Amino acid sequence: MHMSTRQNLQGNHACALAAIAAGCRFYGGYPITPSSEIAERMSLELPRVGGVFIQMEDEIASMGAVIGASMGGVKAMTATSGPGFSLKQENLGYAAMTEIPCVIVNVMRGGPSTGLPTRPAQGDIMQTRWGTHGDHPIIVLTPSSVREIYAQTIRAFNLSEVLRTPVILLYDETIGHLVETVDLPDPATIERADRKWATGPREGFRPYADPGDGIPAMARPGDGYRSHTTGLTHAEHGFPTQNPADVDRVMHRLLGKFDQHRDLIDSFEALHTDDAEVLVVAIGIAARAAGRAVRQARAAGMRAGLFRPVTLWPFPEDSFREHAARASTVLVVEMNAGQLSLEIERLCAQPGKVARLTRFTGEPIGPAEILATIQERARHGHA
Amino acid sequence: MDTLSLDTFDIRAYLREDLLPHFMCPGCGHGIALRALLWAVHERGIPKDRLAVVCGIGCSGRVGAYIDANTYHTTHGRPLAFATGLALARPDLEVVVITGDGDCLAIGGNHLIHACRRNLNMTCLMLNNEIYGMTGGQVSPTTGGGRLTSTTPYGNAEPTFDACALAIAAGAGFVGRGMTLQLPALKTLIGEGLAHPGFSFIEAISDCTEIFGRKNDLGSAPEIILRQKSGMRPDTYGNIVDRPFQAKAMRIGVLGRNDRPEYGAAYRAAVAARIAP
Amino acid sequence: MADTETSPPTNVLIVGVGGQGVIMVSKVLAALCQLHGLQVKQSEVHGMAKRGGSVFSHVRFGAQVWSPIIPHGETDILVALEWSEGLRWLDAMRRDSGTFIADTQQIVPPIAFRDRRPGARSGYAPQSPAAVLEMVGTGFALDATRVAAGLGNTRIANTVLLGALSTALPFPVEGWISVLRDFVPPHTVAVNLKAFQAGRDWVESGSRPAEEAARPAGARVAVAARGHRLEITEAWCKGCDICVKMCPERCLRLDERGLAELANPAACTGCRVCEWLCPDFAVRVLDGLGQPVA
Ligand code: SF4
Ligand code: SF4
Repeated sequence: MHMSTRQNLQGNHACALAAIAAGCRFYGGYPITPSSEIAERMSLELPRVGGVFIQMEDEIASMGAVIGASMGGVKAMTATSGPGFSLKQENLGYAAMTEIPCVIVNVMRGGPSTGLPTRPAQGDIMQTRWGTHGDHPIIVLTPSSVREIYAQTIRAFNLSEVLRTPVILLYDETIGHLVETVDLPDPATIERADRKWATGPREGFRPYADPGDGIPAMARPGDGYRSHTTGLTHAEHGFPTQNPADVDRVMHRLLGKFDQHRDLIDSFEALHTDDAEVLVVAIGIAARAAGRAVRQARAAGMRAGLFRPVTLWPFPEDSFREHAARASTVLVVEMNAGQLSLEIERLCAQPGKVARLTRFTGEPIGPAEILATIQERARHGHA
Repeated sequence: MDTLSLDTFDIRAYLREDLLPHFMCPGCGHGIALRALLWAVHERGIPKDRLAVVCGIGCSGRVGAYIDANTYHTTHGRPLAFATGLALARPDLEVVVITGDGDCLAIGGNHLIHACRRNLNMTCLMLNNEIYGMTGGQVSPTTGGGRLTSTTPYGNAEPTFDACALAIAAGAGFVGRGMTLQLPALKTLIGEGLAHPGFSFIEAISDCTEIFGRKNDLGSAPEIILRQKSGMRPDTYGNIVDRPFQAKAMRIGVLGRNDRPEYGAAYRAAVAARIAP
Repeated sequence: MADTETSPPTNVLIVGVGGQGVIMVSKVLAALCQLHGLQVKQSEVHGMAKRGGSVFSHVRFGAQVWSPIIPHGETDILVALEWSEGLRWLDAMRRDSGTFIADTQQIVPPIAFRDRRPGARSGYAPQSPAAVLEMVGTGFALDATRVAAGLGNTRIANTVLLGALSTALPFPVEGWISVLRDFVPPHTVAVNLKAFQAGRDWVESGSRPAEEAARPAGARVAVAARGHRLEITEAWCKGCDICVKMCPERCLRLDERGLAELANPAACTGCRVCEWLCPDFAVRVLDGLGQPVA
């Protein structure tokens, strides 16, 4: 019999509890609204399971400490919000380049700059994808409920371990501070994945050689491999290279390393998309409002549907294209000036097909306005 | 000193020999400082598999790659942050940070202050050559007054940073300064740092012969390294090992000891005191 | 306009490693072209000022120059301040008509090790100067660093090569000299002019290096009087002179290649100061059996 526990839980606390359940044993933090509850809860929970919490001197250091702990073989995470997330970008790029697993939570608030610290927004959609310099692989998961925060936090750790990559958990302030009744699963039933550790002789060990699945095994310090890790572009032996042929080869492996694993990575929720004429695309709290609007539209006889990417990056584009094929309008609802819209417009590549409903005032977008827009577009489509 | 290994020290046992010659300039003091570090590691009997060397960016940042250990070349100014995570997660490792004056005191200054304050067990070796060498010789926080650099073409008007004074003030467990010229003394100092259970900060006076030396007309590599001592000329110079250092400006040796609790242990104790077993 | 289209620019590619003065050579050439009323474009890649980082500079001049980049295979003159850098750029030259001017001095750059496995040997270019000169239209491989050392300063090897370059371009020698005067520090004008002339003389005397370029190889072990041995790994020695000047017994020296050697084994006490202070780990004091001593 599985023991699940029912409780009223805040999104940020669910994130912390899930991290512990996923095997996270190190947290390097720095206080920032609206993410601080995650650090607070982790500082309480980690010592109970033999883990370590540390509040670092700044956001940059917290990201560095997280990567350092993971280099040592311990599952590690941090959480932040817009301004702090900006500061973490350089080290985040280092983790992507050196393929050190780690989880970074970004609880979005209004920006730019200090912006609207206590207000929800979804302005970091592009920053999570392109925040650090240079081309790099990254996975971004975007839950829209407390229950989903719990599930996706665990998944973030598992993906980061299995694919040796930083994974960003991205949700807005509303979701982070939402309190919902959730049934937490029995910890014994939770699937935990660990990174592949190098085994076998040191002789001939090449820390960045492609074993076939694009994901090299990691050498744990103390296991005798004594390998080198660098953010410089490095060849299979782990040491720097500037040779164009080497750079081309190793960067192709790095940038394409998710290609074989898209079945593991891609995830989304589709609601009434089969025959949808107006397809709404949204994430986070905006997606919850959109879901209600879609159901209301259906009740009123309109053929509306919802496509909610749970994996935001890499965008589940094949699935999206399938679900959007029959729609005459794709309506992107987001709490920014139009970021997800850029990706959807790229994927639709059809003038006039994509409509935007955006807001950056720090207020969520309600079902009524989404419904009104659906109505308008549906009429438009019939005309 | 009862734990000192008396085995013969052959530096090659600690180097990735196939990467040599290293890419430092002729006469660059960083190679000498690296010898001091590895000698100290040897004397303390630290197995290479347990040694984790975390470096930042710059000439100093490249030194680590030559060590046959677990080596990490991280981001500019951040090696102490990475090392903090690594040392907390893996107290079984001997964590050594190699950094430079720009890496440690300018872009990474905040991390140094807090690493000293926290007193987590690790050894930070800062190679001070008064310059940003890798990028072509720009002024650094430790560049001497009046010195010419590629960004102080009229002479450096900024005051020079005393890194050891900073480390002591910030509460580091062990603070010392040595110079590459006195290799055995520097080795002993680093060894004490490694042995100290807490944060050890060691500044090694190194030299940038090719860029800083040239720009300031300091002469050949041996002339530059001798200037560390007292400006004696090489041709009148005798035995460098036995004479005590008589620096005018900088004190060397062990400059600070602060036997307060090591952070990792303090954290575990604080937790244990409140969590019922 | 017709004129400019019929006379393509002259393309000079200057290559070397950080600290050798590649940019100085290209600046002198560019200034000279400007003096002659020609259009000139110069583009360079550098940044890692350290020894060993690749540096190259394109100089294109003529009545009209549009692009700053020399098209592949259209370099008229390739000037290499370091041997392997020269070899690396060989196929940038015009197949038949290109001129190759290179210092035979070898500075093993980090890139020579790019595919190393533990224990692998350096991938430094194995070709001899004679073999390389076979491959190019006109080639000059001169030991410019040694020529410069003869003048008392290895840092002016670039000026020796500039002298050699001056013989391959149609500008009068007075112009070269006056530009060179402007570009070097005042107190080094005299020695730079000498180096420039030495480079011209070398080409005009028709010298060709017959022998393999001096290549530091393995370790040289000298037996000292007290039974110990001094091992100098020549491939790692950068000739910094520290061991020579720091040896209390004055028993080391730099040989004609600028590498450390034990000149007076009888005086060596085995004190290990040289071993300790060599920044490149090139010196070891071994016992009589060749083992490291405690
Ligand atoms: S061991 Fe001592 S005496 Fe012998 S060469 Fe080296 S420095 Fe000179
Ligand atoms: S100290 Fe080392 S690198 Fe310098 S000359 Fe002597 S052997 Fe060569």
